[in-house]
Amino acid sequence: MGEGDGDAPGPAPGRRRRVSSRRALLYVVAVLAVLNSFWPLVVMALAGYGIDLAPLFSGKAVSYVAGVPFYSGGIFPSPYYYLFSIFVLGFPRMMLNSFVIASISIAIAMGVGVPVGYILARVDIRGRTLVAYLLLALRAASPFIVIVPLFVTYSSIGLYDTYPGVALAEEMLVLAVVVWMLKGFFEDIPREVYDAATVFCKSEWQVFTRVAMRLVLPGVVVTALFAFVLVWNEFLISETLTGAATKTVAVGVWSGIGETTGVVKSFGWDDLNAAGTLAFVPAVAVMLAIRRYLARGFSLGQAR
Amino acid sequence: MAKFWYLFFVPLFALLSVVEFYPIAESVYLSLVGTGGGLQPSNYVAMVNDSAFWNSVNISLLYSMTSTFIAVGLGLGLAFLLTENLRGRGVLEAFYVVPLAVAPIVVGTLWSPPEMWDDIQTFLHFILGQPYFNELSPAFFFPVMAYSEAWEWGPLIMLVALSVISSTPRAVYESAELYGASGLRKFRRVTLPIVMRSPVMRFVIVLRFMDAMRAFEIPQTWASWVSSTTAVGSPVDTLSLFLYKLMFIPTYNFPIGLISAVAVSLFLVSLAAAALMLGLVRTIGGR
Repeated sequence: MGEGDGDAPGPAPGRRRRVSSRRALLYVVAVLAVLNSFWPLVVMALAGYGIDLAPLFSGKAVSYVAGVPFYSGGIFPSPYYYLFSIFVLGFPRMMLNSFVIASISIAIAMGVGVPVGYILARVDIRGRTLVAYLLLALRAASPFIVIVPLFVTYSSIGLYDTYPGVALAEEMLVLAVVVWMLKGFFEDIPREVYDAATVFCKSEWQVFTRVAMRLVLPGVVVTALFAFVLVWNEFLISETLTGAATKTVAVGVWSGIGETTGVVKSFGWDDLNAAGTLAFVPAVAVMLAIRRYLARGFSLGQAR
Repeated sequence: MAKFWYLFFVPLFALLSVVEFYPIAESVYLSLVGTGGGLQPSNYVAMVNDSAFWNSVNISLLYSMTSTFIAVGLGLGLAFLLTENLRGRGVLEAFYVVPLAVAPIVVGTLWSPPEMWDDIQTFLHFILGQPYFNELSPAFFFPVMAYSEAWEWGPLIMLVALSVISSTPRAVYESAELYGASGLRKFRRVTLPIVMRSPVMRFVIVLRFMDAMRAFEIPQTWASWVSSTTAVGSPVDTLSLFLYKLMFIPTYNFPIGLISAVAVSLFLVSLAAAALMLGLVRTIGGR
């Protein structure tokens, strides 16, 4: 991507005017697309800071919720809601929970997945394709077929609302991604490197540990970061299997901050925005850092 | 080759047994245990006769189809913009991929009524003199829900399209330019067929459709807005939300047989999607 962009033929003299207005239109559309992608996040971050922009239009902000006009917001900048989320609603604790759960499940997935990724990429043994396909096929399973029995089992053996319990359950999300991403990274190492390594190393095992493992290390880091964001953002599994003690960030954003059932949410909206902002900022930062690999991660290693 | 490599499948299958095989087997078993004990298909009969179940099947299908369709459109549009040699292409691309990193539950919140719609309502009402529109009518919130889903995943389609484009020989595009095709026309006639025919893109679209079929977070946020958190059968009940409500709304008494029956049926259907995906992986394969 990105190479060879500079060779567009120059416009013919007679078409210059039309072409340049066409370019201008393209830039307008490109900026509108930026607003589409980014503006909702800006609105959330501002709302968490007590700023609602609607009064700029009218002097008051009106929403129309449940059939009645609903006056909200205004421009009252204040870090109160962020501080409230952090110091009162226990946001750091949720971040710690997410971090611990993600770390455990990534550690397990890596321990199991690195050799398997290598086998799928490099070692010609029978049944490896089957294993690769099995992992993909299991990715297709709806989480509920797993969550319901796990919920029941966890409740009876005391794994409900514990770090290892949730971290294990997250494997259904993480494992296939990790294995298939690593498979890709092992395949990215040029064949010549493997050939040379085979000459210098005593055994296949040494090719793996001495050469492939070292070269694939950046790929392992990328995979871990990607998996981290997956777990950080995951809602359904953690909502079901965590309670007060291990509530994760994604769950906390929604249910930790004043969900009651059956009532329209007209409370705690600014807190929810502050918490939502605190939740998306680290995820966006990590994802932007590894953005070259996002297609690979989200397509389970299929797109390069 | 060396047999010891098989040892590494042992922990893999141990892990899969705990988090996949055992729960799936347990679900199948639970779905077959009847009310009076003994194995019988009564839960499946109950499922087929449950109108709330069919309601959520319809909603999930409609939701997945609309959101996947919009996501593909959005992603291809963004990919087109990024192939037009605009200045600051890298910055644009960085902005465009941001939604991929946002948690779905936050996406649901971002697009809910008081977030942006109150700005828009106020603008339309006070500046343009329009009457307020009702944010809680299905004709409004269903497209918004589908769009939020597409907003998050359109960038993935964009990234995949870009990777397909960059892996196609440039000669293909250059010959199109030679014939005088430019801009949108070139994109539609040359790039689009290449992108849409590539197995990678098809794989991602199937994956996206399948994931949208079990969408949970965005409908969950809207369930709260449209006051349908206490009963099944509402216009936001996707299959996942339906199952979640059966699990957690106390009045339903945790009907584990019915829940398992629905989950198992979904699993069987999703195996069909998996088969489709595996076929595409074989085409992509050889790597």
